[in-house]
Amino acid sequence: MKPPLDARATPGLLRAALREAGTWSEEAPRRLFSRSRGAAPRERRRGTGRGHDALAVRLPSWRSKLLLFGLFIAFLALAVRSFFLQGGISTGFLKHEAAERFERTIAIPATRGRITDRNGALLATSVPARLVWAMPEYVDAPPDAMRRLATLLQMAPTELDRRLASDDRKFVILRHQVDPDAMRQIDALHIAGIHSSEEFRRVYPEGPVAAHLVGITNGDEHGQEGVELAFEDSLNGAAGQRRVISDNLHRIVDEDWLRPPIDGTDLQLSIDNRIQYAAFSTLEAAVQANAAQAGSIVVLDVHTGEILAIANWPSYDPNQRGRLDADRMRNRAVTDTFEPGSTMKPISIAAAMDAGVVTPTTLIPTGNGHMTISGHTISDTHALGTATVEQVIVKSSNVGAATIALKMPAQSLWDMYNGVGFGRAAHAGFPHESTGRLWPAKTWGQLQQASVAFGYGVSVSLLQLAHAYLAFARDGDVPPVTLLRVDTPPPAVRVVKSETAREMRAILERVVSSEGTANAARVPGYRAAGKTGTARKARAGGYSGTYVASFVGFAPASDPRIVVAVMIDEPAAGRIYGGDVAGPVFSQVAGAALRTLQVPSDALPAPVLARSGEEPR
Amino acid sequence: MMSYRAWAAVLGLALFAGGLGLVNSQYRARSLFVDLEAAQQEARRLDADATRLNADLGTLTQPASVAVAAHNLGLRPIEPARTIYLGAAPAVPGAQGAP
Repeated sequence: MKPPLDARATPGLLRAALREAGTWSEEAPRRLFSRSRGAAPRERRRGTGRGHDALAVRLPSWRSKLLLFGLFIAFLALAVRSFFLQGGISTGFLKHEAAERFERTIAIPATRGRITDRNGALLATSVPARLVWAMPEYVDAPPDAMRRLATLLQMAPTELDRRLASDDRKFVILRHQVDPDAMRQIDALHIAGIHSSEEFRRVYPEGPVAAHLVGITNGDEHGQEGVELAFEDSLNGAAGQRRVISDNLHRIVDEDWLRPPIDGTDLQLSIDNRIQYAAFSTLEAAVQANAAQAGSIVVLDVHTGEILAIANWPSYDPNQRGRLDADRMRNRAVTDTFEPGSTMKPISIAAAMDAGVVTPTTLIPTGNGHMTISGHTISDTHALGTATVEQVIVKSSNVGAATIALKMPAQSLWDMYNGVGFGRAAHAGFPHESTGRLWPAKTWGQLQQASVAFGYGVSVSLLQLAHAYLAFARDGDVPPVTLLRVDTPPPAVRVVKSETAREMRAILERVVSSEGTANAARVPGYRAAGKTGTARKARAGGYSGTYVASFVGFAPASDPRIVVAVMIDEPAAGRIYGGDVAGPVFSQVAGAALRTLQVPSDALPAPVLARSGEEPR
Repeated sequence: MMSYRAWAAVLGLALFAGGLGLVNSQYRARSLFVDLEAAQQEARRLDADATRLNADLGTLTQPASVAVAAHNLGLRPIEPARTIYLGAAPAVPGAQGAP
């Protein structure tokens, strides 16, 4: 017996089975299904009969078409809206929303240019640092973390609490220029509401040694003093801007440079930091040894007019911004002026020699060392009687210098003074360069003409004085002084004849000898030349009992390479004369500078003779 | 000859693969940019370290530091007063050089 057909069998199998049995017809499936499913319809019929009737109702075709049309319209609307938003017709809204969420503009700070000496040694550079700021309303951390934060920010915990307690401020700067190592420790505290931004900190490796020269910047890295101020435009770069797109992990995934940063230009100065240190340390020792108020020193390169060193005492450390004192920050060698005293005599007498009024051997009557002009008496320290022009300089006779000056037209003297740079700024590149004071010749009376000749009634800066002596160190011409390294010497301006300069050089060499006033200025191993100056300090209504001791000279005298000018303000330890106070400073600094520059000695002692294989005796 | 439907299927698959490739390349581009950004960040950090080290080097090699170190080592600068100058002795005829 065949098994009964399963109504759930597949129609294909069922159709094949019925055909095999010969009972297949188009009505067969309906009969078969009505038999196999017969119970349910019968029960439905015994019931209400409404289900069968409801199924039997045919749906009107317009309803399905309406639904289809509705769906079509909805999809069409979506497509139109999508095209409207993304097809370039109205993209502003989406772009704005995307920008709000993922785009931001970052300021890229520019690096300030470095300042180096002539050999590339760093004098000033900028290192990265962080600006730490807070949003007080979001700051929340345990007391231990806040104390640690205060320590890292180098402030008292109470000070930190006070700054964060201001309810009306949403943004508080806690500290500028935080060291990156300290910043890493601050980040590790994970204090909410504490943030940081990139900035730079200016570092001065030479500290007080070159402080007046290099200067200082403020917290925003803008020059305030010295070279930092004078060359602000070239040292200071321009910050850039960068628009970036971040992902949801705050990683930058795309960028668009709005403006790349332009770093500042590096600056190479003419300074040699070895000579600078020698000048600074020697000056510091001299000021302290002489219990002086202050001191300055300038070293110039004779061949190029470059400033090799310029130092002042007292000084300051530009790395310690919290302890700055305006009085210590003044570059006295450039901004302060003083009456040069006897250092003026070679210039006055050179004018007379150049004009043919006197020669080094011309006899000048100085009498008993006193001379009265317009009721004022000019005096010498020692009476010379009748002396040669050379002796007037070597012995530093005020009466002799005044006598020679009075033989000259006032305008010729003025032209000489102005020609060597007095009464006008040196334009070396420093800010606030002093012009000094040189009254017009037409305002001079006899007394002023005479007194200017030995350095009173005129004021100059130490830089101007050193600049003027270039005329004697060279063969009568003066190049401009410069603070920047130069490879090609700039053209010089002739102010005295070559012959006059050579004669004056020989006279000045005798000053630095046992017969002159500056024996202490002799430089071992080198022939040196120069002139001392000891001038009373002017005060309101006359002169005080304090002095300015100075010395200006050059070496080697046979072929000068450097000019060194020294000024000691108000020495008060017993010695007041330029030869005693400033002369030794010249000696030490000139010797160190010449050895640093490897200048061959022109005053060697007798050499020790040695043959091969012998020890020198 | 491929039927129209076969061509449509092939092109559809190509389009789908191209779309996937585009998405993948965008993802890779952004991943590479993230890596590049991280590398540039590291380069900037190393630059900053180099700048700081150079500044430290400048401080340690400044003449004042050298002078202090020389003093501690008992060294003295060259001074003419303590320098022996050797002059060349006139040549002696027939003399032999030292071994």
